[in-house]
Amino acid sequence: MQLDWMMAVAILLPLISGILVYIIRQYHIRGLIVVLTAIALIINSILFVKQGLPIEYTPEGYNWGLVITVLDYVILLFYIYAGLSLRNWLVLIFALTQIIPLAYWEFGMGAHAEVEPAFFIDHLAVVMTLIISIIGSLICVYAIRYMYDHEHHLHLENSRQSRFLFWLVMFLGAMNGLVFANNIYWLYFFWEVTTLCCFELIAHDLTTEAINNAARALWMNSLGGTAFVLAIIYLYMNHGGAEALSMQNIISGGLGQAVALLPIALLCFTGFTKAAQMPFQSWLLGAMVAPTPVSALLHSSTMVKAGVYLVVRLAPAFAGSYLSIMVALAGAFTFFGASALAISQTNAKRVLAYSTIANLGLIIACAGINTPLSIAAAILLIIFHAISKGLLFMCAGTIDHIIWSRDIEDMEGLAEKAPVVTFITAVGILSMFMPPFGMLLGKWMALEAVYIVPLAAILFVLASAVTIVFWAKWLGRLLQVLPRLGKKWEKLSLSYSVPLWVLVIGIFVVGIGVAPIYQKFVHFAVTNVIAAEEVFAQGWNIVIPGSAAASAAQAVGAYPVWPLFLVLAAALFVPFICLALKPGELRPVYMCGEQVGGTDADEWITAGEQKAKLQLGGYYFQSVLGEAALNPWVNTIAIALLVILFGVSLGRWS
Amino acid sequence: MGIIHTSRIKSPWIMHFDNSSCNGCDIEVLACLTPLYDIERFGIVNMGNPKHADVLVVTGAVNRRTARVLKNLYDQIPDPKMVVAVGTCACSGGVFHNCYNILGGVDKVIPVDVYVPGCAARPEAIIDGVVLALQKLAKLQGVAI
Amino acid sequence: MNQWLLAIIAVVVAPFIGGILAGIDRKISARLQGRWGPPIVQPFYDFFKLLGKSKIAVSRVQLVWLYGYLFFMITSLVLLVLQQDILLLVFMLGFAGICFVLAGFSCKSPYSHFGANRELLQMLSYEPVLLLMALAIYAQNGSFMISEIFKNNTPLIVPLWPIFIALIYVLTIKLRKSPFDISTSHHAHQELVKGIMTEFSGPYYALVLLTEWYEIVLLLGLVSLFWANPLWVGIIIALAAFVLEMFIDNIAARMTAGWMVKVSWAVGLILGVLNLAYLYLKKGVL
Repeated sequence: MQLDWMMAVAILLPLISGILVYIIRQYHIRGLIVVLTAIALIINSILFVKQGLPIEYTPEGYNWGLVITVLDYVILLFYIYAGLSLRNWLVLIFALTQIIPLAYWEFGMGAHAEVEPAFFIDHLAVVMTLIISIIGSLICVYAIRYMYDHEHHLHLENSRQSRFLFWLVMFLGAMNGLVFANNIYWLYFFWEVTTLCCFELIAHDLTTEAINNAARALWMNSLGGTAFVLAIIYLYMNHGGAEALSMQNIISGGLGQAVALLPIALLCFTGFTKAAQMPFQSWLLGAMVAPTPVSALLHSSTMVKAGVYLVVRLAPAFAGSYLSIMVALAGAFTFFGASALAISQTNAKRVLAYSTIANLGLIIACAGINTPLSIAAAILLIIFHAISKGLLFMCAGTIDHIIWSRDIEDMEGLAEKAPVVTFITAVGILSMFMPPFGMLLGKWMALEAVYIVPLAAILFVLASAVTIVFWAKWLGRLLQVLPRLGKKWEKLSLSYSVPLWVLVIGIFVVGIGVAPIYQKFVHFAVTNVIAAEEVFAQGWNIVIPGSAAASAAQAVGAYPVWPLFLVLAAALFVPFICLALKPGELRPVYMCGEQVGGTDADEWITAGEQKAKLQLGGYYFQSVLGEAALNPWVNTIAIALLVILFGVSLGRWS
Repeated sequence: MGIIHTSRIKSPWIMHFDNSSCNGCDIEVLACLTPLYDIERFGIVNMGNPKHADVLVVTGAVNRRTARVLKNLYDQIPDPKMVVAVGTCACSGGVFHNCYNILGGVDKVIPVDVYVPGCAARPEAIIDGVVLALQKLAKLQGVAI
Repeated sequence: MNQWLLAIIAVVVAPFIGGILAGIDRKISARLQGRWGPPIVQPFYDFFKLLGKSKIAVSRVQLVWLYGYLFFMITSLVLLVLQQDILLLVFMLGFAGICFVLAGFSCKSPYSHFGANRELLQMLSYEPVLLLMALAIYAQNGSFMISEIFKNNTPLIVPLWPIFIALIYVLTIKLRKSPFDISTSHHAHQELVKGIMTEFSGPYYALVLLTEWYEIVLLLGLVSLFWANPLWVGIIIALAAFVLEMFIDNIAARMTAGWMVKVSWAVGLILGVLNLAYLYLKKGVL
């Protein structure tokens, strides 16, 4: 009974509160509903941790299978309608390629997609639902105020905030359903719901650009959906009917025979499209036109995480095959390509988007490497990336609403206008690559695991060197301050500051406590994917023990989490003592003695006795690393990798 | 503080600034760096940057345009600092004295510790001037040199 | 506990070794140029003089990063002495570098910005080579722990000589010697005033010098790992490498940043990848 309620809260509550929010068009009540839903979701997700996992659950009472089938066709028919009304033939084609095989399969062949259990909730699913419920909910709370300011700035006559929040909140329910589903036909339904939410949210502003980009997101994800449909049909036909549609059967070999690699490759391909892997990165970049909460939600906890979740979940099904190596290579290539492209971007949100694509590539590559160490790295990366990216996107949005610009060059001297947001953004950026924080731990584990896939190892090495360049460039721009820091802390709406601070605290807590959290909890999620006997945590530190063949005491690697945080604390504490500089000790910068004014001089006298303002810009290497220069190359290579990926999966080679 | 005082004498980094010199003295200042004179023997390094300098070596008479720059650079040098005026022009304005655009010697703008006259001042004299400045600094701090 | 004592000793002694090495560097450079040169202890005079100068800063944020540079550099050194994970050491070293870059970025100064951007390019050049070195050591030893290197009787330099050459190449960038003294340069050289160092003055510049001494010791320590058993051979190799760097410094002209990235990726990657490929073939992973 309790389980029924918990499932209902996780999946149906977001839908119900979405509808409520849509009906009640009053700012405060709407906000209250969103906050209450957020609290309910967070508590509910934590309750799942307390359950004896794994849970098998099949809803009873109604004919849910029928409901889902009907809704599925409604969504697909809507895609056809969207394709026709937008006159976007790609959308139309890929909607038809989904609905026609699906209809033929269900009605022409009379298939029954009933699987027991319909939902299978293990530790991996709970890790995902924690991310979705906590980070996703915080982003919804953030969106309350953000959309208010957003429309205020655009001077809209008719408020469309209700509609926005409806799709945003519903997204969380669909994601929860997606990670719980064991029946992959149901998983496909939730998959389509997320695609639909994503389409509606990107198109929200209804500008031509927004609609075009939404259509692009739709057709690319529909292409993935098509692969999903084909995989379902293939599994159903060749591996014994409905039994083959159970995710647990697919990955744990419960079908009595090995599953062919082709449907697995198709499902991975679906994951690639959703996770915006190259060559499908353009939809996620196009999604940047949407209001920032959408980006935050898409990048941190939902949508793209569904893609990597699917690949990580399927990892055992392709373990030890060439498909596994190809998945690793495709992911590693995206990691490198997207990192290199990020250097050339001036728009903060596009930098974040490329970084997301790169990190998703890293996670997928880890799934492809397919060792206990790499799967552990993948799951830790999913967690840490969600926290850091959720925070960074919300920061980018808040900065956008302070200076009304997303350009990194415009963020110069932001520390004066908004010291608090600048500080939080700096923490967010640092958490992406600074030693004690989680992302670097994940990257470290990934690099230690990548040895067995040589080409991926080299791509990893190059990509990690490239990654730090664009982060450092942005951080340098952000923190480049004239000596007078902002004296007054800016006032932020609670709807902004609560999610931001919660995530900042989250970064530190999860970062410091990563070893115990890993041992008590994440470890089981890894075991859900791959049989992991090794325990990586020792006390507060992460230690990777050697394999059984080597002597047990001999470690492969060690990451002293706790001492490193002490170093960080010391490195922050000491300069704070020195920060109390007397104003007289602050001198202007060296400009050949030609500067005008006192401490914060940024003007100088030119040869013509004219005052000129000093302007500095970053390096972006547009001609070498710009999209125009690199895109043809990276897309060609990525497509070639995908072709090889399908090629190796046609026969079951290993 | 003993070691710091001693070190100050042992490691004077100079910054060379040219007001409106005829470049005669400038060339002599640079000649000090050559193997023949090798001022690095005394730990003297020519810095291009006031923020790292200890001794400001000025050549040429101060004109209306450079006065502000000279003052700015002097202010950017962290204490303790010494100023050495090299060449007759830097000492008093030299042949440019009373020109329409000339203010006069360096001491019209910033306090000067050592005057090294000569047109142009010889490298030996310049080195001597810097050493004199250091002796003055040593005396101020009560350290033996 | 013995190990920790060793670490503390290393942290205390390293600056002295680094300072002396910097002094030897200046002396030998002077001799190569036909000059007499400063006394060997000159770097210490410079250091203490700078400590005694008045505190001048251009922005408060700068100080945070400078201390970060020092602390993370010391941490990497401690990781080396405690024979910890070499990959983590490379990451820490990289982050120390990032702190330095950010210190350069943290004021509105054209020269320090140029220097910081170029320092970033330098990091881009050497980081892949250092990471490849860590991977190659893993390929050879089956472990990222430095302690495993010491257990091995075959010196690493035998199977890893291409990576060793790449490391020597990277050492030139890391020690900021010509042709790669692009972001900033040492003693009498100048590059864009003083590049990234332009705005560090007085005691804060002393801090940078101190960190550089740690860096010299750390890098030479990494080089000596290539002949860890017995270690004294490794140390001699490291010192020889240091002298070699001085010669390169004095015979080479400064190159552009773009050239540096291209050539070091070409040299570092070709050597590194060939070396890794050889190890993979030998271990039968491929």
